[in-house]
Amino acid sequence: MELVVAASTSTDSALVRTIPIHSPRRHRRNAAFSEFKQQNLPACKPVLKPAYVITTFLLIGFFFIPVGLVTLRASRTVVEIVDRYDAECVPEPFRADKVSFIKDISLSKNCSRILKVRKHMKAPIYIYYQLDNYYQNHRRYVKSRSDQQLLHGLKSKDTSSCNPEESNNGLPIVPCGLIAWSLFNDTYTLIRGTEKLSINRKKIAWESDRNSKFGKQVYPFNFQNGTLIGGGKLDPKIPLSDQEDLIVWMRTAALPSFRKLYGRIEEDLEADDVIVVHLMNNYNTYSFGGKKKLVLSTSSWLGGRNDFLGVSYIFVGGSSVILSIVFMLLHMKNSR
Amino acid sequence: MDSQNPCEGEISLNQWKGGNSVREVRHGSRGGDLEMLGLSQKEIGDDDARLVYLNEPVKSNERYEFSGNSIRTSKYSAFSFLPRNLFRQFHRVAYIYFLIIAVLNQLPQLAVFGRGASIMPLAFVLSVTAVKDAYEDWRRHRSDRVENNRLAWVLVDDQFQQKKWKDIQVGEIIRIQTNETLPCDMVLLSTSEPTGVAYVQTVNLDGESNLKTRYAKQETLPRIPEKEMINGLIKCERPNRNIYGFQANMEIEGKRLSLGPSNILLRGCELKNTAWAIGVAVYCGRETKAMLNSSGASSKRSQLETLMNFETIILSVFLIVLCSIVSICAAVWLRRRRDELDILPFYRRKDFAHGDPKDFNYYGWGLEIFFTFLMSVIVFQIMIPISLYISMELVRVGQAYFMIRDMILYDEDSNSRFQCRSLNINEDLGQIKYVFSDKTGTLTENKMEFQRASIWGVDYSDGRTSSQNDPVQGSKIDGKILQPKMKVKVDPQLLELSRRGKDTKGAKNVHDFFLALAACNTIVPLVVDDRLDSTVKLLDYQGESPDEQALAYAAAAYGFMLTERTSGHIIISIQGERQRFNVLGLHEFDSDRKRMSVILGCPDKTVKVFVKGADTSMFSVIDRSLNTNIIHATEAHLQTYSSMGLRTLVIGIRELNNSEFEQWHLEFEAASTAIIGRAALLRKVASNVENSLTILGASAIEDKLQQGVPEAIESLRTAGIKVWVLTGDKQETAISIGYSSKLLTSKMTSIIINSNSKESSRKSLEDALVASKKLMIVSGTTHNTGPSDEAAVNPVALIIDGTSLVYILDSELEEQLFELASRCSVVLCCRVAPLQKAGIVSLVKNRTRDMTLSIGDGANDVSMIQMADVGVGISGREGQQAVMASDFAMGQFRFLVPLLLVHGHWNYQRMGYMILYNFYRNAVFVLILFWYVLFTSFSLTTAITEWSSMLYSIIYTALPTIVVGILDKDLSRRTLLKYPQLYGAGHRREAYNSKLFWLTMIDTLWQSVAVFFIPLYAYWASTIDGSSIGDLWTLAVVILVNLHLAMDIIRWSWISHAVIWGSIIATFICVIIIDSVPIFAGYWAIFHVAKTELFWLCLLAIVAAALIPRFVVKFLYQYYSPCDIQIAREAEKFGSPRESPNTKIETNPILGSPHG
Repeated sequence: MELVVAASTSTDSALVRTIPIHSPRRHRRNAAFSEFKQQNLPACKPVLKPAYVITTFLLIGFFFIPVGLVTLRASRTVVEIVDRYDAECVPEPFRADKVSFIKDISLSKNCSRILKVRKHMKAPIYIYYQLDNYYQNHRRYVKSRSDQQLLHGLKSKDTSSCNPEESNNGLPIVPCGLIAWSLFNDTYTLIRGTEKLSINRKKIAWESDRNSKFGKQVYPFNFQNGTLIGGGKLDPKIPLSDQEDLIVWMRTAALPSFRKLYGRIEEDLEADDVIVVHLMNNYNTYSFGGKKKLVLSTSSWLGGRNDFLGVSYIFVGGSSVILSIVFMLLHMKNSR
Repeated sequence: MDSQNPCEGEISLNQWKGGNSVREVRHGSRGGDLEMLGLSQKEIGDDDARLVYLNEPVKSNERYEFSGNSIRTSKYSAFSFLPRNLFRQFHRVAYIYFLIIAVLNQLPQLAVFGRGASIMPLAFVLSVTAVKDAYEDWRRHRSDRVENNRLAWVLVDDQFQQKKWKDIQVGEIIRIQTNETLPCDMVLLSTSEPTGVAYVQTVNLDGESNLKTRYAKQETLPRIPEKEMINGLIKCERPNRNIYGFQANMEIEGKRLSLGPSNILLRGCELKNTAWAIGVAVYCGRETKAMLNSSGASSKRSQLETLMNFETIILSVFLIVLCSIVSICAAVWLRRRRDELDILPFYRRKDFAHGDPKDFNYYGWGLEIFFTFLMSVIVFQIMIPISLYISMELVRVGQAYFMIRDMILYDEDSNSRFQCRSLNINEDLGQIKYVFSDKTGTLTENKMEFQRASIWGVDYSDGRTSSQNDPVQGSKIDGKILQPKMKVKVDPQLLELSRRGKDTKGAKNVHDFFLALAACNTIVPLVVDDRLDSTVKLLDYQGESPDEQALAYAAAAYGFMLTERTSGHIIISIQGERQRFNVLGLHEFDSDRKRMSVILGCPDKTVKVFVKGADTSMFSVIDRSLNTNIIHATEAHLQTYSSMGLRTLVIGIRELNNSEFEQWHLEFEAASTAIIGRAALLRKVASNVENSLTILGASAIEDKLQQGVPEAIESLRTAGIKVWVLTGDKQETAISIGYSSKLLTSKMTSIIINSNSKESSRKSLEDALVASKKLMIVSGTTHNTGPSDEAAVNPVALIIDGTSLVYILDSELEEQLFELASRCSVVLCCRVAPLQKAGIVSLVKNRTRDMTLSIGDGANDVSMIQMADVGVGISGREGQQAVMASDFAMGQFRFLVPLLLVHGHWNYQRMGYMILYNFYRNAVFVLILFWYVLFTSFSLTTAITEWSSMLYSIIYTALPTIVVGILDKDLSRRTLLKYPQLYGAGHRREAYNSKLFWLTMIDTLWQSVAVFFIPLYAYWASTIDGSSIGDLWTLAVVILVNLHLAMDIIRWSWISHAVIWGSIIATFICVIIIDSVPIFAGYWAIFHVAKTELFWLCLLAIVAAALIPRFVVKFLYQYYSPCDIQIAREAEKFGSPRESPNTKIETNPILGSPHG
């Protein structure tokens, strides 16, 4: 019956007036609208009863504490080796004036570090470089790029946002802007015992960036040719979409202390392994007191090692349980 | 004899509103008119006048640019729309703030946001408003077009031809048929009636539906414009908006006639009961009085908004503090790094691209700091909740919709809905502390009913029966029986006496008494068909005073039926016998004399003066040496009548002998044709003849209380609202109405102040103060619970009259009166003039922060309605002036209870919460931006994309707060009406006060810390990029503020669910859309970050950590220190209030909760 009614309303409005069967439906709609107009819509009116509140807090507690514990455990399973090398990779005689050391092209920037693996590290092991006190989120810096140019290359003309790294010697720079100009260029070679550990440096950048943000036909041009060299150079024969270090670097970090993926080791490291790192200490953080660190880290479902979230969950859950107990006591003592 | 029109200048006939009750009604406007009259008594100078040549529109219009008759209520044309509309919109401070911020952002040095994003909010608001304005204006255009194209008969080339209204010009002669609407203001020349009378209905003009009489001058009457040229010149005052005043002279054939308000027909009126009328257009189009009067109500600002401004200033200070912190930190940072800046990779002050290195985008340390400050203002702009002002307007429109649609506020009798004429003060309705009410028409129905009569010292009031359809009474017309339209209950004994004719002395007095009632008025009888009975014609008495109507119907019921009124005579059918009386003269009612009189030439060739008026004024002109005991008896009866709450009138008579009549006649002629000081002269003539009267008796009319008034007053009083009644009635009547309306109760001690000098006023005030203090001490010792108890325990009523107020208002005694009045729970002011009403309102308004409300129905209430914080008009029988001046209008006094206790309460609670919530919502967002700035070396980077920043207050969080502001109800209508004391929440400012503001701000601070720092530490030294963490912050803050709102929603209907969850979903969708644009830096960020568990764990942790403190505090407050509203809510939900020492609802009304 209802179906028939519905069909006829939609097809023939004249029927609506003639067939009396429609009136209840109309009525209902009118009644609903009138309830709306009289502000009498059916509604649920929750009231905070002590029992509800105590239960809520208990439930929060019982959910948050286990989640916190699991999170904390996940964080603890991550094995991380962090090695700060910026200070020690400057030879003794230059320690007083690190900036002039790093600026002097004639000096060798080779440096060796020895890392000890304390716990078994399961593949894949991520190699990050970490910079501290480096404001990749500074407004002048963040804006100094041209996403149009990254995608379309020299075809995009408006690159004014890239200043002061827009052009050099009258020719445009691809990729332009401070971010690309300051590309990080320390390199790491890892050796375990005698054998060199192979580092997979492919697929370290976001796939979406490689596919849609950096042009496959865009090649570096006139890059790092100025009087002031800010960082790494790019191979002009490789399109931007394959310059993964650049792509990683150009996804600017949110916070002044950040890590960037350098590569992956796709074999396990055993406890007590000794790893020798040969690195090229090219990048200048000395002029502004930035720190450089090399990080080797396994990963969990949570990501890297960070106890904060687990602890906060336990704290929130714990407080909830305590609150519920306090309320329960109050309620028993002073039941209204 | 021009006896129809004796009182030109002295307001039209409608001034007379019934003797005793002294409808001080229009005294205010009258005062104004008199003044104006005084000024225009002198010849209208050529400079001030407009000259209208009859039937010579070309000549009339050649010297002056009179406006044509086309009207334009629309504000814009197609071309002027954009500039004018923008200009009007930018009159608002809020929009200017928006604009300045947007302009600042366009400077390259300060460009924090992209062009598009920075203009979007302003453009959005402007375009929404523009579309709304355009639609309204289009409708106005349409109605203008319809109005302008209506047709009228205009004399062209000695023939009446149809012409469009818009083409009518000043000076043209126009012919109007019956039931047609007048196209412009015109001076009446002639009508179908031989006497030159025309009846008009002015319902479109002032809302009064009764007929008013207008007259053509005798000199112009016989002219037929088609056949003979009329040449003449009208010299009239400039266009003005006084619809009751008109001053002009007409020169016609060398004769000079003066014209008054009774000679002019105004645009918008309808011609009734007159076949046709011919007039000459004097004011056209926008210069007509109707158009000059069609201006909107004055705008008021709500108290909440005023309070809110203070908090807005605090927020501005916050904003400045935040910006200063950022600038100072930036200054220090730049200073400390001044040597590194040149080549710092993320700053790079120097540009090496073109040979010599030079500064790039760097203007020196000082300027950089200044720019940082300005940029931080741009970034933190929404700290000042500009969107709140727009949301508030929308919410008020929504609230108004529900008030208008409320069936409870719908008056079936007059078929009138509630009207919201002012959209700015909805929430003030929830905080009213003082109600000033008019009496007649507001508390009472203004539907008068003849109840008793005292004739020749005998009171007739027993054995009331319904009037019979006695054939003797009915007079025949066209073979049909004529009956009065309204039935009146009659006293059989009196009926018997009235039928006896003039045989006995007693019967003669009864005869004269009813003759006076039937004749001494300005009623126009109309004969209408009875729909039920075709053999019967009904007599409808059209008059402007309900008292007069009641008296005329009463006279008809006793067989003295006024059946016809023409220019010079009236016909009264006395017990079925038609008798013709010549109306020789009529002295209108005025406020000085407080009486009116008519001079009748009776069929027996005698001339009699009938006078009726207020007792005070009548006893001074009655010859007290005659019939002393009759006078005493009448006085005693009057006393009884007034104590019963009846309105009384005294009627007197005097026979004029020939010489007296001749003398009066001469004086009257002279006075009514005088050009200078006509009103004063006429008054003098009247007082000369109204003298040495013989008393006939007195009538008593019941002014019926409106339905539900006592209950309404009881509710208002329980709600802690002080009700003051301001009336023009005399003291006894006022007091008796006070008792019948439960305003005064027997428990009350009343203090009465009647003084007639300043000294005595001072003394009685002082005595009264002492007395009231004593009463308080007595009650204070027995109930030492607090000051607010006293009024409840031993209430004091103050009754004060207008004469005393004359000495008190505007003098140093005001202070004492206020002190006294504030101790009284009821104040009754009687015999007050309209301006005094306003004075009393301002007495209270200027001395307290409490809100005042005035309610009234007549023109005499306009001043007080405009003076009070909230003005309510009763759309009743007295026309629309009160409604026009009011902020809200409704049909009945009793609607005040649901309006204040239900809608006012809701609106106040909703608006208060909404303001706090909007402050919180914007501040929490700004603080999140601020915290991030501290981690970007103070460079004002925002992790949240600029688009999200802009959409935040437009899409992400706007709708829920508006919907909650319109729909949420803290308590049901039933509960609010059952416990009026819940209204006290508004008095105690529970929904919005500075304590709540600061609590909210502390909560805001905590929530922003939770939102910002949980992700900060969770992602510290990780690979997170700015866009991803920005998306996390965006979603976190939106979910948080929506859940915060959800936590405070009291009634969850499907609409609330839809908007809250809908907003969160909409935010996700928007973020996804923004992150799908490859050329934005944040391309695909949301998809990357949302794949990680950490993201969702952060969201959950943020919401829980941010809301728990609020939840705990809310619960503790509600459970351990609940306010009345909370208790009532639980009572509503669980059936009975909790057993708690705090539950005062039922035990101790009036009192507020101790937790206010």
